[in-house]
Formats: sequence, structure tokens, C-alpha cells
Amino acid sequence: MFPYIIRRLGLMVVMLTLLSIVTFLLFNAVPTDPAMLTCGKSCTPELVAANRIRLGLDQPLYVQYIDWIKAIFVGRTYGSGTQTFPCNAPCLGYSFRNGEEVTVMIKAALPITIYLALGAFVLWMVFGILSGIYAAKHHTEWQDRVIMGVALVGYSLPVFFIGLVLLIFVVVRLHLLPYPDYVAPQTNPVQFLQTMILPWISLAILYAAYYTRLTRSQMLETLSEDYIRTARAKGLPESVVVRKHGFRAGLTPIVTSAGLDLAGLLGGAVITEYIFSLPGLGRLSIGAVTEYDLPTITATVLVAATFVIVANLIVDMLYAAIDPRVRLS
Amino acid sequence: MSVATENEGLPSLDVVVPEATREQITGRTLRQIAWMRLRRDRVAKVSVAILLVIVFLAVFAPVLCGLLKVDPYTFHSEVISDNGGLPIGKWGGVSKAHPLGVEPGTGRDILARLLYGSRISLLIAGSAALITVVTGVVVGIVAGNSRGWVDKVLGRFMDLTLAFPVLLVIIAMSPVLEQRVVAAGVPDGNTSRVITLIIVLSVFGWPYLARLIRGQVLGLREREFVEAAISLGASNRRILFKELLPNLWGPILVYTTIAVPGLIGAEATLAYLGISVLPPTATWGSMLEESVGYFTVDPFYFCVPLTMLVAAVLSFNLLGDSLQDALDPKAGRK
Amino acid sequence: MKKSTSIRFGVGAATVAMLLTACGSSSGDGSTTGTKGGTLYILTQGEQILHLDPQRNYTGEDLAFASGYLNRTLTQYTLSKDNATASKLVADLATDTGTASDGGKTWAFTIRDGVKWEDGKPVTCDDVKYGVSRTFASDIITDGPSYAISMLDIPKGADGSSSYPGPYKADAAAQALYDAAVTCEGSKLTFHLASPSSDFNYTVTLSAFAPVRKDADTGEKYDDHVLSNGPYKIQSYVKKSKLVLVRNDQWDPATDSLRPAYPDTIEYDFSLPADVITQRIMADAGNDSNAISPDGIVPTQLAAVFSDPKFEKRRLNDLDPYVRYYAINTKKVPNVKHRQAILAAANREELRKIAGGIYAGDFADGVVKPNIGVDYAPTGLWDTLLGDKVPVTGNPELAKKLIADSGEPFPNPLVVDYAKTPTNDKAISSLVASLALAGITVKPNPLEPGGYYGVVLDPAKQGGMSAGGWAPDWSNASTVLPELFTPSGGFNMSQYDDAAFNAEVAAAKAMTDRGEQAKAWQALSVKSMQAALALPTRFGKEQRLQGSNVSGAYTWGPYGSYPYATLSVK
Repeated sequence: MFPYIIRRLGLMVVMLTLLSIVTFLLFNAVPTDPAMLTCGKSCTPELVAANRIRLGLDQPLYVQYIDWIKAIFVGRTYGSGTQTFPCNAPCLGYSFRNGEEVTVMIKAALPITIYLALGAFVLWMVFGILSGIYAAKHHTEWQDRVIMGVALVGYSLPVFFIGLVLLIFVVVRLHLLPYPDYVAPQTNPVQFLQTMILPWISLAILYAAYYTRLTRSQMLETLSEDYIRTARAKGLPESVVVRKHGFRAGLTPIVTSAGLDLAGLLGGAVITEYIFSLPGLGRLSIGAVTEYDLPTITATVLVAATFVIVANLIVDMLYAAIDPRVRLS
Repeated sequence: MSVATENEGLPSLDVVVPEATREQITGRTLRQIAWMRLRRDRVAKVSVAILLVIVFLAVFAPVLCGLLKVDPYTFHSEVISDNGGLPIGKWGGVSKAHPLGVEPGTGRDILARLLYGSRISLLIAGSAALITVVTGVVVGIVAGNSRGWVDKVLGRFMDLTLAFPVLLVIIAMSPVLEQRVVAAGVPDGNTSRVITLIIVLSVFGWPYLARLIRGQVLGLREREFVEAAISLGASNRRILFKELLPNLWGPILVYTTIAVPGLIGAEATLAYLGISVLPPTATWGSMLEESVGYFTVDPFYFCVPLTMLVAAVLSFNLLGDSLQDALDPKAGRK
Repeated sequence: MKKSTSIRFGVGAATVAMLLTACGSSSGDGSTTGTKGGTLYILTQGEQILHLDPQRNYTGEDLAFASGYLNRTLTQYTLSKDNATASKLVADLATDTGTASDGGKTWAFTIRDGVKWEDGKPVTCDDVKYGVSRTFASDIITDGPSYAISMLDIPKGADGSSSYPGPYKADAAAQALYDAAVTCEGSKLTFHLASPSSDFNYTVTLSAFAPVRKDADTGEKYDDHVLSNGPYKIQSYVKKSKLVLVRNDQWDPATDSLRPAYPDTIEYDFSLPADVITQRIMADAGNDSNAISPDGIVPTQLAAVFSDPKFEKRRLNDLDPYVRYYAINTKKVPNVKHRQAILAAANREELRKIAGGIYAGDFADGVVKPNIGVDYAPTGLWDTLLGDKVPVTGNPELAKKLIADSGEPFPNPLVVDYAKTPTNDKAISSLVASLALAGITVKPNPLEPGGYYGVVLDPAKQGGMSAGGWAPDWSNASTVLPELFTPSGGFNMSQYDDAAFNAEVAAAKAMTDRGEQAKAWQALSVKSMQAALALPTRFGKEQRLQGSNVSGAYTWGPYGSYPYATLSVK
């Protein structure tokens, strides 16, 4: 097991390095001059030139890249004259648009996105898997059709529609909940739950629909295997067959999907965060995109992609732990 | 597959596609069985019928609009109230002249915009699906067939591509990419817009299919008939096209039917985020984006593009399910 | 003041406007006595207040907000629903509205005693002097008005930049230049101007002339936490989330007759979807009955709000100070006949219906708006200036004739820049269709609202025509025509540089007889339209709705904003 872990960790470092290079090039080697984007309406050529030097944009691209990476580990100092400010490690850059270190903004936004993703994750896994199993058990009966029909419709609706309809009807029209106003759970647990419940539900609807389909097809697949017939033939109760034999075997692809979907969500659920006014990572990054705030865009893309790569690693490790054959391949 | 679809980076669909060749049946008979099953499947037939109608409406939009005497770009200020800009009359201004009502503010005919919009939406989704599928199949076959370092490099490249937050990168890169497209000699305007959209939607979809195809190819290469072909000294090309490809049609077809609705949804999501064709041209996405704000005051206006979009997406997904069942060699045993 | 573009993204994102001047059409509750206590909620789709730093704040609504709660300026406008009264100056941080001498080249103000910062230290003359100096540090103090640089008697280079680089970078010699132009003797503050100004005391209502204490100045981070000298102070400020103001116990009501400071707490909620804000205030449930929104009613709900009598006491629909127009880039469309053809061909009725019909404002005949006062006179643009009558639906025949008369083909395509929102998308569609009737091909150029002005104010990136909105900084067309149509102006999207026009503007600016000056501006306004430097579409109106517990709401003329200082909640 140990050599496998080392090998995978090494590979992850290579991937992260590649990722940072691609991300950096994607946003910094563009025809648009990043220095032009630092000062907005009152841009003068002198201002652009000054900011270019302040941000180190006068350096060759590879030096900029090294500075950027170095800052993540040891920090750097921005500014000039009497107006310098340190950017402590891990420094992901300085956003001129917001007048703030990107790391500080990401740190503030991240917990919100984590709560959003985890809550929705639990909801969709529970509902998706349960209804998938139920549908599979009632394969070819009306229950199956109803569940699959609902799942397909849920899956086909645009995500902004689900969120907006929930918000307008549950909150604005029917006053069943107060308007979402995010607070940390330790500050006010009740308000936290009131705020998060609708975003959780609207994300969960989308994903649960998919997991219902996935679970169902996996179950149908495994339930038609020979060893399931054997188990039935042995006279085991159907519930035991489904739970112990059917579901277990069909679990692997569900775990893979779940890990990657969760990681993807941790990078920010752009539309859901927007509709429910949650100041999470998605909100931060989309705001950065609309304002051409390059340091913030680059950093949020890097962070989001890192989540996915790390999640890949974890999923692989889990496989390796479950299935010894993987370690050898 | 999961192009930017519902923003939050839709689940990765790769696992659902059946392994078309698990049983030792030759491609041809499997195809015949699948066809037979499909023809018996009522859901599949209805889905195909709906899709054909939608495609028909899109293709013949100019003719149909000419017959109905409606135009997507003509303003009809006379049917718009000066008190707030809503259409005059019930159901968002539905009348003989405007069968599905008119757009608030402008009075443009919604039916005409919907039909013309279908052309662009389907063009974008269809082209992006085509590019995604071709790229995915080629890369998948190359990776699966070559093994060794080529396979490794391609594999890492796929991982890397899949790691990016698709929606964000698309939004951030679109303006820059469009500049490049224009610089490459494409006429500036909607032509460059549409091409940019097709490219960004294709860039992130292919690795899913490539992975899937690679897995299939790896499996197929172990099969006796491929080994036999190799031992008989068949050329690489022959093995690829005569032995491997015919056995990959199943997964490719299923993937395509689920990729297209994903791409239609992705176009709508991008439009909601402000990345769309230039006005006055419409797409389903731009109509949804425009109308979603009206859904409490002029719900009919919002329902029209939504119904069209959901009908198309639903039909594709149902067809995908049916195809999958039809192509599943074990289906008969259940 | 610039008109802010709306933050896009949203469901029917409205144009976030700000603005000036009521014409008595307001139906809101304009009562001036309020109840102490409670929390006032301000809902916006913006992610933050663009700038709280007084030297960087230059949008109407934000100026009114900050001056009502956080920073006092030397002089201020009267808080009144009546537009004429509101445009009168009152002393605020100064003891009077200023004394001019030396023919208007020297202006003196005396700082009031007893005004304190939130930490208890007194606000001194030096604090004001230091605050004003920050404007010169234009690499850090961005986005603010540059009147201090253009008006104070400090040598300038050939390119108009000052020899004084601001307090952060100045060496002793440069600092001496500033110290000579702005002097403090005790509490007497004196400004020495480069050329006479008859209304410099209006200029100093801008918070660019507000005090900042040197030891509290954190440079570009000052935006995040300003030190207050008003009735409230910042308790917490989280961008994209909320700003909370609480009472400033160091503020002495005896020194301040302008700010009754009714609510105990002010909570500014950011990053809300535009559509949802309007719906929440319409529903008026819970805390939302204590809410206002500077964003205005989304266009989709205009009809619902204005047709229902239950909103009568809660809605406002007043002319704002902004003119909505499309600046025509004279570098891209150099032929005056071609520019006139654009004006003749545009269908202004369609444009107005798209924006909400009669609620969106009146048809405009120039860029100087009637509510500015004496400087406005009808220009006759749509009756005679273009050679024939132009109805609100446009006159494509006249447009064709103008193009034919010009002797050269129209420089197609005409690229039109605009901030991308669903409403603006429709407006551009109207232009595409109406201008096509005259043979002009419009190419839409949608831009992200956040970066809109940054792009169009860059001559290299601007198209042939650019959407804009502009309001006077005070009631004098000297803050309109020179800004929009001369090279020294900060908002010259027309890229107009005509020697004769420039000379007449300079002459008008220097006039000391206000009546004569008004005539000069009126004549120049006609000339600017004859030259077709812009397509004026609407003298805009702002539509707003507030919660049922909010009293004292009206449109405050000078900024076209809520009168923040006097708002109260039951």
C-alpha cells in the first residue's frame, strides 16, 4: 500500500504543478493587458505603468509565474513608496478591484461553500440512493416509472429556474422562511439552517435526480448477476439480498461520482450562490470574472481545480484500500 | 458527460453507458436486436417524434413564419402598454397575429423568436456534440490502443481538463477566445459568437467520452476476435475501423443522445450568465434569460421557451434511456 | 456624476441609477418628522458601496448615503422634497457657506467647533486639508472627481497632471506647492484657485473635499473602514454581504442641524438579485417593511407597482438628474450629416417603452436636463435642428436624405457599446431595426456592466456610439457640456474636439454673471445637438418603492437619491 500512496502523491504534485501553469497561462498570457485591468474608469497611462510595476507585471512571464508560486509558500510584498503592504503566505495574489488579498477573500468565502456543498451532498445522496433502490426494486412497475419520470424532469430543468422558483414562492410569496441571510452556524444555528435549507434543496434536486438514475441502473445491473440469483435461491429475504449483495456491489461507481461531484461543488456553486445571496466561492469567482479581476479569477480557478485533483486522489486511495488489485496496476 | 450544464458541474455521466460488447455477440446482430427493441419502445417512439417536430420547426422556421406572417425582429410598439411596458391583453398579448404572444417592452413576436431561436440553439448544441464526440472517440481509441506513455500522457491530460471549474473558465475565457476567433478571420458578430460558444462547450466535454472509449478499447483488445485479427497480421487501421469501431457505436450513440440535452442546458445557463449571441438574435437560452424576470407578471412568456427547452431535453434523455436499454445485451434477462 | 451601469447578472437586472431632482410628482410620504429607533434596511444588488473613501466616492446615491451618515462636508445641500429649496446650500462642517475674495480666486471656510471623529478627537482644519490632498494621489485614490486637481492653484504639466503627486509620494518641494494652495490658520481653511470660480462652495459639497485624518489614512484600504465624523459609524463591513452602521456616540447633535439621525441601526445588504429586492419590498413582510432600495423597481414589476393603489404611499416616480443618451463618437462618425441621420432614424418611443414607458421618463431634446434650472431651454432638436420634424418614432426618410446629402456613404457598421442587461439588449435591438431603415448597420457590442466605462472611455476600445448617463455635479451646465463634449472633460465619449466649441465653453465657464452664463450654456446646448454629438433618449425618471414603515422618503434633488439623513422607520 505504502509505495502506491507515494506514487499517487508524487503524481498529484506533478498534476498540481501542471494545473498551476495552465491556469496561470490561461489568464495571464492573454491579449488583454492585466495592468489595464487594475484601475477601471480613471485609468491613465501613468497609472497603468505604475500598477504594472507594483504588481510585477513588467517582468517576463516565467518570472511572474515563479513569483506567483513563491508567494503561495513564502508570501510577498506589494506596493511602493510608503504604501506597501505585505501579503502573507499562502499569498494567492492581491485584488486591486477589491483592495484586498485574494487569500483573505477565499478564506472568508470557503466555509460557506463547504457548508452548501456538504449539506446538499448529504441530501442528494440519501434521497438519490433511496429512491434509486426503491425504483430498482419496483422495476417495470408504476413506482419505477413515477420516480424515473420525476427524476428526468428534475434533471431537465435549468438550475436557475429551480432555485428562483423556490425562492420566490417559499420566501417572497408564502413567507414560509425569512429571506436568506447568511450567518455562521456557530453564531446563529437557526438562521443558518433557515438560510441554507433552500439552497441545499435546489442543488439536491438537481443531483438527486442524477443519483436516482445512477443507483437504479447499477442496482438493475447487479441484481441480474448470477450470484444474486444464488442468494435468492438460498432463500435469503429480498431486503437482505438488495442491501447486502445488490447495493454493496453497485456502490463503486456511485462513490466515484459522489467524490468528484462533491469536489466540483466545493469549487463554488455559482448560480445557487448567486440566487440565494450566499457569499461563497462561486459568488467570489463570478464577481471576479465580471470585473476582470484577474488575480482573483486565477486563484479561485486554481483552488477549485485543486479540490478536484485531491478528490481524485482520495477516491483512488479508497479504491486501493478496498481492492488490492488496484495498487499493482 | 457534463459540459457546463446545470452550472454546478453536473454529475459525470460516464458510468451509465452500457458495455455494449460484454456478451459475445457480433455487432451486427446486436444492432438488429437493438433496432427491434427500439421499435417496440413507445417512449422512444414518442421522443423521436417530438425531436423530429422540433427539428422540423427549426429547419423550416423562415417558411413557417412567412406562412404565419410573423417576424422575430419587427417591433410592435402598438401592442405594448406605455404604463410599464407589458403586452396589452391577456396571456402576454396572445392574438391571431401573435399566436404565442409578444415580448414585453418590444412587442416582438414570441413564436417567431422561438422558432428562429431553435435554429441557433440546436446548431450550437449539435455542433458542440459532434466535436465532443469526434474528439472523444479519437482520443479514446488512440489512448486505449497505444497504451504506454501516449496513453499515460493523454490520461493525465484528460484528468487535468476535467479538474477545471468548467463554467468559470468558460465565462472568463469566452471574450478572449472570441477575439482570437475574429483574428483568425471569422466574421465579427454572431458568426464569431456562435463559433466561440461551440468551441467552449466542446472543450470540456470530450474527456468523459474519451475515458469511456478508452476503457472499451482496452476491453475489446483482450477479445479473441481482435487478437485473431492481430495474429492474422491485420493492419492497425483495419483493426481500428473494422474491428474496434463497429463495437463502439453503442456507447457513442448513447453518449451523444445524453450530450445534446446537456449542451442545450449549458447554452441556457451561459445565456443566463450573459454569454450568448448578440441581440436581436434569439436562442432558447437568451429567451429564458430575458423572460425569467417576468415569470410572476407575464408567466406565459416565460413558459414558452421553458416548455420548448424542457421538451427537447426530456425527449433526448428519454431516447438516451431507451437506447441504453435497447443496446444492453442483458436487458432480456431481467 | 457618472451614471453607474447596473451590475449584471440577474434576473432582469435593473439599471442601477442614482439621480437628481424631483418635480413634485412624487407620491411618496414626504413627512419630515420621524421616530427615533429601529433599523433601516437598504437592499441592493451591488456587491459593496462602490467607494466609501470620501475622496473616491463619486456616484450620486453613495454621496448622499455617506454624507447622511458618515462624513460631513464643508457645505451641503438642503434636505427638502422641493427641488428649488433642495438646491440651496447650507453650512455643514463649516460655519457658513464660504466666503469668496479676489474675484472668486480665493475661498475661505471656518471649521465648526465641537465636531469630533468617532474616537473623540476633534475634526480640524488640517484634517480637511489632508483629505483634499489625497485626491492628488491618483494612482491610489482612484475613481473620484478631480476638481481639486483642476481647480487648485498648483502648477500643472503640459498633459494636465499636477506637479503635486499627493501626500504619499510628495517630497518637501512638492508638498510646499500644495501647502501654498490650501492653508490653515487655526480653524480657517483657505483654498487658492488657479482661476476664478463663482460657485466653488458648491464644488465642496462633494466628499472629495471632506476631511480625512492623516494617522487614520490607510491608503487604498481606507475604503474598507472610514473614520466617521457623522451620526453613525461602521460596526462591520463585509463586502458582498452587509454593512452595519451604529450610532456614533462622539457625534454631537448640537453641532449638526442637518441630520436628525432617527434609526438606531442602518443595515446595508449587498449582492441580492434585483428581481428579488423588488418582490421583497412589494411583499412588505417582516424586516422588509423597514427597507428601501437605491436600485429602483425592476422594469418587469413596474406595471404591477404602478397600477396597484396599495403601493401609492410607498412608491416614488421622479425625474432623476440623469440624461440617458448615446454618445456618438465623432472620430468614428466624422460627418455631421451622418450623425444627424442617426438622430433622425432612432425610434425613441420604442426605446422608452422598453425601459418602462411613461415611468421611464420624458423624451429628451439635449443633454442638459430641465431640472438643472436656468441653464435649460428647449433646443428644438426634434422640430428644426435636423432640417425637418422628427416624430418620436423616428423619421427614416429624413435620415436617408441626410446621408444622401452628405455626399459619402455611411461608415457601416456602426458599433454600439452598451452594458449588457436584458433591457439594454432590447434597446440595442430597437436601434438595429430603426437605423436599418435608414441604411445604417448597427453592430451591438455588449460589455460587462462592471467594466463598461473603463472600456468606452478608452478611445482605443470605444465603438461608434456608446450608451451613457450623466448628471450635473451641481446645478450648473458647466458640469455637463464641458464634461461631455470637450477634450478636457472627464466623460467625452463623443471624442469631440472642436476649437470654436472649446473656446465658447471656456468663455462661458469664465462668465461671472449667472444670467449671461445661462444664455451661453443654452446656446452651446443647441450647438451640441446641431452637431449631433449625442442621441439623447430620455430625461430619466427613477422609480422606487420602500417598505411601509419607512417615512421621510422622497427623491432628494441634488443627488436624485433618498434623503438618507432624514429617513426614519416606525
